[in-house]
Amino acid sequence: MRVVLAEDSTLLREGLARLLAEEGHEVVAAVGDGQGLLSATGAYRPDVVVTDVRMPPTHTDEGLRAALEVRRRWPEVGVLVLSQYVEKRYATELITGEDGRVGYLLKDRVTQVGEFLDALERVGAGGAAFDPEVVRRLLARTSHTDPLGRLTEREQDVLGLMAQGHTNAGIAGQLYVSQSAVEKHVNAIFDKLELAHTTGFSRRVLAVLRYLGS
Amino acid sequence: MSIPFGAAPVRGLVRGTIGLAIGGAAAFAELAFVLLAAPWLALPAARSRVSGGIRALVEWERARLARYFGDEVPAEYSPGRGLRYLALRSVVGGLGAGVFLLILYGIGSVAIAAAKMVSGRTIGVGAELDWYDPIVLFLLCLLLAFLAVQGLLGVATLDRKLGMHFLGPTNQELLRRRVSVLTSTRAEVLEAVNDERRRIERALHDGVQQRLVTLGMILGRAQRSGDPSRSGELLRQAHEQAQQALLDLREVAWRVYPVALDEGGLHSALESLAERSSLPVALRYRLGGRVDTATETIAYFVVSETVTNTIKHAAASRIEVDVELAASTLTVRVRDDGVGGAWPDGGGLSGLRRRVAAADGEFTVDSPPGGPTTVTAHLPTAVSVPFTADEEAGA
Repeated sequence: MRVVLAEDSTLLREGLARLLAEEGHEVVAAVGDGQGLLSATGAYRPDVVVTDVRMPPTHTDEGLRAALEVRRRWPEVGVLVLSQYVEKRYATELITGEDGRVGYLLKDRVTQVGEFLDALERVGAGGAAFDPEVVRRLLARTSHTDPLGRLTEREQDVLGLMAQGHTNAGIAGQLYVSQSAVEKHVNAIFDKLELAHTTGFSRRVLAVLRYLGS
Repeated sequence: MSIPFGAAPVRGLVRGTIGLAIGGAAAFAELAFVLLAAPWLALPAARSRVSGGIRALVEWERARLARYFGDEVPAEYSPGRGLRYLALRSVVGGLGAGVFLLILYGIGSVAIAAAKMVSGRTIGVGAELDWYDPIVLFLLCLLLAFLAVQGLLGVATLDRKLGMHFLGPTNQELLRRRVSVLTSTRAEVLEAVNDERRRIERALHDGVQQRLVTLGMILGRAQRSGDPSRSGELLRQAHEQAQQALLDLREVAWRVYPVALDEGGLHSALESLAERSSLPVALRYRLGGRVDTATETIAYFVVSETVTNTIKHAAASRIEVDVELAASTLTVRVRDDGVGGAWPDGGGLSGLRRRVAAADGEFTVDSPPGGPTTVTAHLPTAVSVPFTADEEAGA
């Protein structure tokens, strides 16, 4: 995939670029701030942008604002945000889109190289990828605790993985059950949470996340 | 009062005497004004005009005090206080006028007595002029002249005290100001503490965390790499990053609180700061003992933040740090030979200003474009702690 990187720490930027190159991706541009991210995205139209949240000049949420701007201007470009810590507000802002192609990971997740690359692939392929920690927090602090309480333990596990952006096949692999069993769980979850049976895998993730984040 | 010698004190005495004479004459006008104007204050319609008169007279008095006694009396008075001042002022002025009249009377008497003596007539009660009469007269004159001068000095002192007392801020006003200063510095201290916490948070997230993430990523790459020589190289890099992360962590911890301050005091904390600096720091530390911990801590942060700022922005080649204690004020001065143009309201410097202000100190930044930059902090100190034996052994 063609990737644009935005990360202000030179050290990490170099490291990420090497990692992606080793895994066969093409880093078309590596920049250090939000403004650079926008111009590089406009110039190269990559498949995915990977961006840090805190970048110069103010070190608050430049990266996230640039990411939302990328979503607005170039909806076909996937956006994967790396954050220093879980910020529910940012995650929720990213979820508000109807479409997929978004991801929100904790920066520390990069150390789990496999998981990070997996999330990148999912976002690039039009899916969604949300950090298990984000999902855990959303599940823990959601205002819909009652309907969640009606889910079985197994259904809770499936919901968590679904919210992270895994496909049914991926969930089946992680829980060591058949794919049809996963599909049954998913249907039960959608019924119990009174969510519309959305087709399209990223839309279903977003439906769940919106439900949890609202 | 010191005994005056030379021309300038004589000029001062002459000026003061003239001032007293003018004040004595003015007393009658002031008394008349007070007696005539006071009743009118009860009438709202006349109030503003009377206030105007009070103000004019008081301002004239302030100008007189400034001109003849060199006293800058503040002008913080209401019309009521101004009127009370004028009433008392007229009494004091009247005393002055009285003393001057006595002096004139004395000079006249002496002149008459001297004339009598010269012509051989008696001056006392005796039938004829005794040999000791001139001596007695002389001593008497001396005594009376001394009393007259004392009287004038007393009037002058009263005159100045009165102005300060009635026209300066009241005790309540001074207290109110102190409270408002303290309120604002307290808010600033909290703000400065928060600034510092924000900086520490950033140092952790943007420094240490990035390193650890990089380290984890390199290890992850090494794991995924099938090529043993490549993984060996990656492991070597990871090892380097781990050591770097430890250094970063130590730096951050040190910035949170330099432990050396507790152990060896300001001097050793500054020495280790100079050793760790990437620019040469010349430290001149001229203190015979230790000051209180709170002051030491602020002084340390003034130096460390300024040095950090200099290394980041000033493009300097060397830094000089001077610390000295004079009259229970600790002075910290940091100079660099950099490009200048430091912005005193910038994040780091304004935080320091707040910290120093909170300790009732003064903080100045002198940084013309082109340099050099000098940052100075004067900090009032509490007790000086003398060296203890083990500190001397360790020094």
